[in-house]
Amino acid sequence: MKKSARDGISAAVFLLPYGILYAVFILWPVVFGAYVSLYKWNMMGAEDFVGFTNYVNMFTDGSFWEAMGHTFLFVVITTPIYIVFAFLLALLCNRETIFKRFYRTVYFMPYVLSVSVVSYLAVFMFQPYTGLINTTLHMLGVSGEPFWLANPTLAWIVIMFITMWWTVGFNMVLYVAAMQDIPDELYEAASIDGASRARMTFSVTIPMIKPTTGVIFLLQVIASFKLFAQPYMITSGGPGTATRPIIQYIYETAFKKNNLGYASTMSYALFIVLLIFTLIYQVLSGRKARAEK
Amino acid sequence: MNKEAIGSKIWKTALSFLIAILALIPIVWMIALSLKHQGTAFNGVSSYFIPPYTFENYIKLTFGSKIMMWMLNSVFVAVITTFFTIVFTAMAAFALSRIRFRLSKFMYTLFIIGLLIPTEATIIPLYITINKFDMVDTFAGIILPCIASPLCIVILKNFFDSIPQDLIDSASLDGCGWFRSFWSIVLPLSKTAVSAISIFTFVSIWNNYLWPFLVLTTEEKFTLPVGIPVFNSSYSADYVLPMTANAIASIPIIIVFLIFEKQLVKGITMSGIKG
Repeated sequence: MKKSARDGISAAVFLLPYGILYAVFILWPVVFGAYVSLYKWNMMGAEDFVGFTNYVNMFTDGSFWEAMGHTFLFVVITTPIYIVFAFLLALLCNRETIFKRFYRTVYFMPYVLSVSVVSYLAVFMFQPYTGLINTTLHMLGVSGEPFWLANPTLAWIVIMFITMWWTVGFNMVLYVAAMQDIPDELYEAASIDGASRARMTFSVTIPMIKPTTGVIFLLQVIASFKLFAQPYMITSGGPGTATRPIIQYIYETAFKKNNLGYASTMSYALFIVLLIFTLIYQVLSGRKARAEK
Repeated sequence: MNKEAIGSKIWKTALSFLIAILALIPIVWMIALSLKHQGTAFNGVSSYFIPPYTFENYIKLTFGSKIMMWMLNSVFVAVITTFFTIVFTAMAAFALSRIRFRLSKFMYTLFIIGLLIPTEATIIPLYITINKFDMVDTFAGIILPCIASPLCIVILKNFFDSIPQDLIDSASLDGCGWFRSFWSIVLPLSKTAVSAISIFTFVSIWNNYLWPFLVLTTEEKFTLPVGIPVFNSSYSADYVLPMTANAIASIPIIIVFLIFEKQLVKGITMSGIKG
């Protein structure tokens, strides 16, 4: 047998176990999802072919737009905050001190907790009368009794706050790695020119970690779009449906209302939004990278 | 050092410590509450933290609840998923990186496309697929789709690409086949990358919520993240037992983190670079 033919067979053997799983569990659902979205479909299987009815219904479904709006709101508010905060933490724990390791470990630690633990910590911390937050407020002399999870704005603040506590370490770690890759000579040169610490941050650190900021931005937007477990466990999407994100609405449509066809349609909408976003980002960052060369 | 520099050092240190305390407080609070007697009344900040302490909640939940069962399920699922993810993606990455064959470029592009597919957006068709295979409420149903995630392929292929071809060529001359050069040359040379993504995969699978939550229906098969909310939501007035459950779920992964922090951080950095 020719060597190239033998290599082809070897390659197939190496690729097969993964390739099968990938085809069945990653690629196939994308194709199949489009198919399901054209049907009235319940847990037992396909009922009726309905064409684009699900799509038409989606555009006039107030609950869909509300849930999608919540997810967008979460993305738009949290992305800049989580990025800036991660950057500041990275600056703090990248200083030359004996506690460097300690800071990094502690800031990152909440990230390894499970979302279930994080959510229930929030539920108990923000409990009126006996929760950690309210008793602390009382100790500080605040006399009110905020019912955090009963008010839509406060409930969103709780969700955003606890998610920041939980995940900001991830972005921070990426920033720390990027900062450590900046050559010391750049700071030495800046210091010879008489630049202050703050000046160095703005004219050396921030420009040098720009590619990392791009990566973090993309990862953060996608992560924020996937919001589900925290509101589901902390507020169940409430009060009413005031904190229900799109994934929770998809889940309820499929598993509570037994309408998998329509749930697929909405999944597809989410998928397209994420895909368009990622592609725009890739094109823009690719063009910029070429322009900088 | 001038006065200004010392001043800035002091406030930065103070700020760093303050944030460290804020980051730790919920975890410390959780552990403090788990050590209180059941039925303790909490009427102020100090009441959470001051003794008397007891371990009886831990004993009670270890022997009198499903939490240890869920923990074993979590360990099983995380270990199996991590192991097969690494073996299968390393094999595929090796083929793409080292073997010349006609569809190599095409296959790699196909896997890269997978990175653009967020699993959260395909849960419904994925669920129907799993249902067709009769894998709802089975460990296979949660493990197999997780192994299929393409992130590790991209990381490992990039890493394998950086291994000098000479090393592999010299081994091939000795009549060493592709499998031997994969197993005895490339894998050992990739120890740092493999351990980094193993820890990273393990932690993400250990904490995976949405997919196991959809697939698992009997309580005996729950993983910790799926079981904890079920357990906790049956206690609304009592903090002590839910916090003990949270602590039991968290302590093992915190210990794993403290031991393997370096590898985990490296795994995250490697996974970030692909974007």
